[in-house]
Amino acid sequence: MKRKGILVVGLLLLGLGLSQVGPFRARLEAAVRDGGTEFARVMLAQDKAQALCTQYRDKLPADLIPTFLAEQKALIKYPASGKLMGDWKNGEKVFTDPKRGNCYACHQGVAEEVAYGTMGPSLLHYGDRGQSEAVVRYTYEKIYNAWAFVPCSLMYRGGVHGLFTPEETADLVAFLLDPESPINRR
Amino acid sequence: MKRLYLLTGLALLGLGAFFAYTQGQKPLDPFEEAMRQRQMYLETFRVLPGELYVEEGKELFFRKGPSEKTLEACDFGKGPGVLEGVYAQLPKYFPDSKRVEDLESRVYTCMQTVQGYKPQEIKRDEVRAITAYIASFSSKAKIQVVPKHPAELAMYNLGRELWYTRAGPRDMSCAVCHEQHAGQRVRLSPVRSPKQGLGNEWPAYRFEEDRLYTFEDRINFCYESIGIPKPEFYSEPHIALATYILAEATKAGHSFEELPFFTR
Repeated sequence: MKRKGILVVGLLLLGLGLSQVGPFRARLEAAVRDGGTEFARVMLAQDKAQALCTQYRDKLPADLIPTFLAEQKALIKYPASGKLMGDWKNGEKVFTDPKRGNCYACHQGVAEEVAYGTMGPSLLHYGDRGQSEAVVRYTYEKIYNAWAFVPCSLMYRGGVHGLFTPEETADLVAFLLDPESPINRR
Repeated sequence: MKRLYLLTGLALLGLGAFFAYTQGQKPLDPFEEAMRQRQMYLETFRVLPGELYVEEGKELFFRKGPSEKTLEACDFGKGPGVLEGVYAQLPKYFPDSKRVEDLESRVYTCMQTVQGYKPQEIKRDEVRAITAYIASFSSKAKIQVVPKHPAELAMYNLGRELWYTRAGPRDMSCAVCHEQHAGQRVRLSPVRSPKQGLGNEWPAYRFEEDRLYTFEDRINFCYESIGIPKPEFYSEPHIALATYILAEATKAGHSFEELPFFTR
């Protein structure tokens, strides 16, 4: 009888424990709030994908990956015109602008720009891939939402977050693929 | 006369930077560039900018507050008045404030509890200078941040969680650059991990910004560059991240640079 009682109380406590925000999570949120309302507003507004990447330290378990990719793919929006390749000249502006693409932070672009980062692959002569429908589409979707291809990659979801519009994404595609673009000049 | 020196120096610096930039296609090595700028400062002014902040900090350290006390009465971890090597052991738990504090927040605390200043009377620039002065006593010292007290362990764990937190409009975390891609560059800046000694150069004079950056300033700079509003000075995110980063640098056996350091 006594044993049964302990079991019931134990189960109740377990249920209560599982239904609460963990004490660590609560402590973390308090610490973040201590950083100020602006800091907390952004840090505590993680979307589901950011929370998963945080939880798994950017290495998602294999069984979560298909759903993750599908959900990210569904976030991609396209230009109303349906054209996935726009104006490379504007694309270069978006590519360079630290507030929009900020692509030089991680990628090499046109040959003359020496102040480029090395965390991402070089994009010099990206246009060598040609301009097939598949290449254009992949380039567009990868730029708009990199996490639809590599979960939790360093490359951020610029289109999803509105750092650039679908039209500007198409301009970025043109900057990478247009044979006239300085990135493809020889 | 002093002004003439300054103008000549600035002209020289400009010329040097221009020359370096036109040197051709090879990206500039930021570390070499900083060392060259440092040398130019020494030759032109016979003093490093960091030393000027240290001098200012020294004066403020020995300035009497409303309570008539100077910061000599503050315990920075090795007892009141002891400055040698204290920075290398911070952040740590202080029983009097019942908080884990880094050097900057400790200065901020003592200016209130020991010296009697009101929070709104404490200027950030003064805390910077005092931090530079006290940190200069840990120049080249081995980093020794080893969380032991439960509050220190809690801060370490919070810092580790913040380190991996992906948030904001650029989906960033500290770890995704400073761990997964450590050793690479963002633009021309080399990015290091705690295991590679991240954190061992602050406080430092940044010649690109022409001002002194403490570790908290540098963490704020990082947050701003990834589109996340910076946490308030002396707040828990700062203490937690500093504890985590410097504890990891401690495990890897790193030492501080010459403090205040001279960097880009």
